[in-house]
Amino acid sequence: MPDWHQIVRRNLRVLKACSPEFAERVTQELADHLEDLYEGYLRAGLTEEISFQRTVDEAELSLTTLKLRLLKEDHMNGFTRRVGLPGLLTFASAMAIAWVLDFARIQPRTIWLSNGLFLSLPTVWFCLLPLCGALGAILSRRQGGSRLDGMMAAVFPAAVMGIVLLLIFVAGWAISLFVNDYGWNWALAVPGLALGLASYAILTAIPLLLGAAASERAKRISARLV
Amino acid sequence: MASVSAQIKRGSAELAVLTLLAASPLHGYEIAKRIESETDGVLRFDIASLYPMLYRFERKAWVKAEWQTLANGRRRRCYRLTPLGRKQLAPLREQWRAFFRAFQNITGFQNA
Repeated sequence: MPDWHQIVRRNLRVLKACSPEFAERVTQELADHLEDLYEGYLRAGLTEEISFQRTVDEAELSLTTLKLRLLKEDHMNGFTRRVGLPGLLTFASAMAIAWVLDFARIQPRTIWLSNGLFLSLPTVWFCLLPLCGALGAILSRRQGGSRLDGMMAAVFPAAVMGIVLLLIFVAGWAISLFVNDYGWNWALAVPGLALGLASYAILTAIPLLLGAAASERAKRISARLV
Repeated sequence: MASVSAQIKRGSAELAVLTLLAASPLHGYEIAKRIESETDGVLRFDIASLYPMLYRFERKAWVKAEWQTLANGRRRRCYRLTPLGRKQLAPLREQWRAFFRAFQNITGFQNA
């Protein structure tokens, strides 16, 4: 009897990236299917050699397509599909807009405060961010995400920038512990962090959420019209 | 048009599989063979089209899969329609009935 498990494993290497339980289950199930298919050909009067060849040909063709479908819909876990990837695309689109604005020399407005602190306000970027928020929400909803998933995908760029600012803050403080005369000043660092979070996390999140909310509203209106 | 065609294909495949499972639990190969034989080979399912659909149904809790020992002593993973799946089947059937009726009216086909 041919080793159908081996044939499945050889043609479906993508299963290595899945959980062991899922991989084992799929391998066993598909090997069983191939075994039944092979025996069906034998019962139909084909020789062992021809039955084997037909089964392998069918398996190789089907398993290649199956691999693509597993990658597309089954392999990725729900959160990645509904929030992670739409969020990353939202982030990429927001960064692309920022890059284009920078290229066009449209600079953020800078409001100087006391002690050399300043608040950076990329107003033009803020005005365009609702488009990115709407994109994230739409992509998430198309992947079966809930309204909350859509909001999370939309606000992803603000979350990333908030986390990056916090990491820079922690890294700066950590370096100051080891480097003499580094110039770490809590009285400046903490307000600086707060201002950075205000402009690049909180104020960024607002237009992104507005875009997501607008896409939700548009969806509801179009559903009502249909 | 391509998306409509894909939707129709997907919808008809879902209806066929759910209808079969409503009658009795079956394993993957049996489902494929039954659909092929009962449609005189017009509808055919291969591994690539059948299993992703079954896994999707399972995720949606429309079917439940369990390893069962068959009469020939072999173990196979059999799919059984859940009450939720049965609930999904009724409107799906009605939609397709309406679709065929509308199609008959336009084309004049009988027993479409």
